[in-house]
Amino acid sequence: MKKWLAIGMSTMLFGSALAGCSSGEEKTAGKETSGTKNEKVEVTLAGWGGNPTEQKLLQQTLDEFQKKYPNIKVKYEVISDQYMDVIKTRLVGGEGPDVFYLDAFEAPALIKTGALEPLDKYVTDDFDINDFEKPLLDAFKGEDGKIYGFPKDYSTLALFYNKKMFEEAGVEVPKTWDELREVAKKLTKGTQVYGFGVAPELARLYYIAESKGGKVVTDNKASFADPKVVEALQPIVDMHVKDKSAAQPSEVGANWGGEMFGQGKAAMVIEGNWAIPFLKDTFPNLEYGTAEIPTINGKKATMAYTVAYVMNKNSQKKEAAWKLISFLTGKEGMKIWTSKGLALPTRKSVAAELGFDKDPLRAPIVAGASYATVWQNGTNLPIITNNFNNQFVSAFLGQRPLADALKEAQETANKEIEGNK
Amino acid sequence: MRKKAWREAGTGYLLLSPTLFVLLLFIIGPILFAIFLAFHKVQLLGTTTFEFVGFDNFKRMTGDLRAKIALWNTVKYVVLVVPCQTMLALVLAATLNAGLKGQKFFRIVYFLPTLTSSAVLTLIFMWMYNQNGLINHLLQAVGLPTYNWLGDPKVALNAIMVMNIWSTAPFFMVIYLAALQDIPDSLYEAAELDGANAIQKFWYVTVPYLRPVTSFVVIMGLIGTFQLFDQSYIFSAGSGGPNNSTLTVVLLIYQYAFKTLGTMGYAAALAFALAIIILIATLVQRRFSKEESLY
Repeated sequence: MKKWLAIGMSTMLFGSALAGCSSGEEKTAGKETSGTKNEKVEVTLAGWGGNPTEQKLLQQTLDEFQKKYPNIKVKYEVISDQYMDVIKTRLVGGEGPDVFYLDAFEAPALIKTGALEPLDKYVTDDFDINDFEKPLLDAFKGEDGKIYGFPKDYSTLALFYNKKMFEEAGVEVPKTWDELREVAKKLTKGTQVYGFGVAPELARLYYIAESKGGKVVTDNKASFADPKVVEALQPIVDMHVKDKSAAQPSEVGANWGGEMFGQGKAAMVIEGNWAIPFLKDTFPNLEYGTAEIPTINGKKATMAYTVAYVMNKNSQKKEAAWKLISFLTGKEGMKIWTSKGLALPTRKSVAAELGFDKDPLRAPIVAGASYATVWQNGTNLPIITNNFNNQFVSAFLGQRPLADALKEAQETANKEIEGNK
Repeated sequence: MRKKAWREAGTGYLLLSPTLFVLLLFIIGPILFAIFLAFHKVQLLGTTTFEFVGFDNFKRMTGDLRAKIALWNTVKYVVLVVPCQTMLALVLAATLNAGLKGQKFFRIVYFLPTLTSSAVLTLIFMWMYNQNGLINHLLQAVGLPTYNWLGDPKVALNAIMVMNIWSTAPFFMVIYLAALQDIPDSLYEAAELDGANAIQKFWYVTVPYLRPVTSFVVIMGLIGTFQLFDQSYIFSAGSGGPNNSTLTVVLLIYQYAFKTLGTMGYAAALAFALAIIILIATLVQRRFSKEESLY
């Protein structure tokens, strides 16, 4: 009796396991057949989520697309955390989305693997490729000169300052980096309010690091221990360690600069376009202004961050995927997507039409585009950045001299790069 | 006769087959594949390639500064956390077994941390460790210095240690508690007749009697602490920072496997090395306790 019971149980378990498998197969089979022409095609689009306003705007753009191409259905998937890890793993497993976001920073390495579809052959004259800002488009060109993605939007960095605190301290908006340092001292009130909120990361310091003629990356290897780079970064460390007028967001319990600024714990931060809608939603009463980043050695400098739509090389529905990309980065789609100013358009014609250069808060950010450095440099930048960030923090906290920290970080990074070859 | 034995074995394996199938597919297969990966340079993305490189991946470890830091952090963590959590578990169990009033209530309260998912615990602790958070306020109230728990490389790993000792000790406490119920009262009575006080009873009766359980608790603790990943991953948002202070071996394996492209083989080699380190640590522990009665 017991024996039969056991057999019955195990067959049941085994049966249910098999049932699980077969339903999985059905799903994948369904996906493949939907690629034929007359049926409705489903294209998957993956991206990181934004704030609710952003999500709504993207949905609006996608609705418009589906109205124009009724037999293409867009399935939008949000990957909210560790975006690149998830995307890479899914691409390896053959379950990658057809179209997805790609940050310029990660682009060279991913293009080199051959996981992306070159888009040149799809481009028509209508698409008007020359309309894109050239540096932003170049960020998604492979070593072979082909284009692997079209930038959907961008932002540069600008100085955000708290008007009330500036008035109380009786100071002017700084025009040079030396002025900024002096002003920050006057704005600081102990550990309650810091003059300057700073993110000790390479992504935000790259333009400062290179301002004295040194190079962070040379021949796809780290070279940031260069004395010129150390000299350029030293003032940031000194502001924290000596002047006590600068702090990173985590020191005051904020997650990022925008939050620190909004909570009134920093009188100045250097942030991008993304902070404007955030401040409007979360801290509507905050009176603040923006200005171009203070000059270093009399030269203007800032960073530009851009993200593109790219196509999976193993996509079964490339025609439909291209239609989606060309709509989203085309004049019509980009105009809807950037209409609220959450992100800035990468097409000159759209930018001219929307006129963000006349918006008082966004004008400094738009102005930065002409002299910005695009946040990208070869396939090894992620490794270099990781090592830089790790060691720079210890110098920023005053635990060791900056030159030593950067030297060690550079050696570690280059060893890692060497090992990956 | 032989035939019958074969048939019986056949039925046995038939009944085992679902389990065997699952074991082969999800445990033995992946182990073999990981060993295979450890000897290859693997590029999974785009065009998948496996290139045999012999012991290159293992040689690379010797020159990898981050691997050394990760191993050092992990060893520091193991050496501090395992004894602390074992002792805390024993003390908690002993107090709960002493027959105090309301001990059932305390048993539940003590056990609660173990029931919470470690990811949630970490997030809650990150709030408390915040510069303006609860822990710093408490320290300030009693006149102790405050720390930048999350941002300062000197204390970040300690912050994780404190949290982990607090959350895993109750689990081992339950194991100790079960073993304590097993100690015959006659031993205590005999000790009393010999004039032993409470501390002597604990030290000469309870502790020796619990040795096999202690051995088990230490081995499980060793394995668990060597595999520290989720807490340091959440603390540092996957980077192992600040200044590599929360970088553990498993976190490094994760970074090489999923963050940098084309280093899956090296990650597998690191995982293999970690398995050997855990094996050695366990063997050493067994040699120390000389206790082989249970497993």
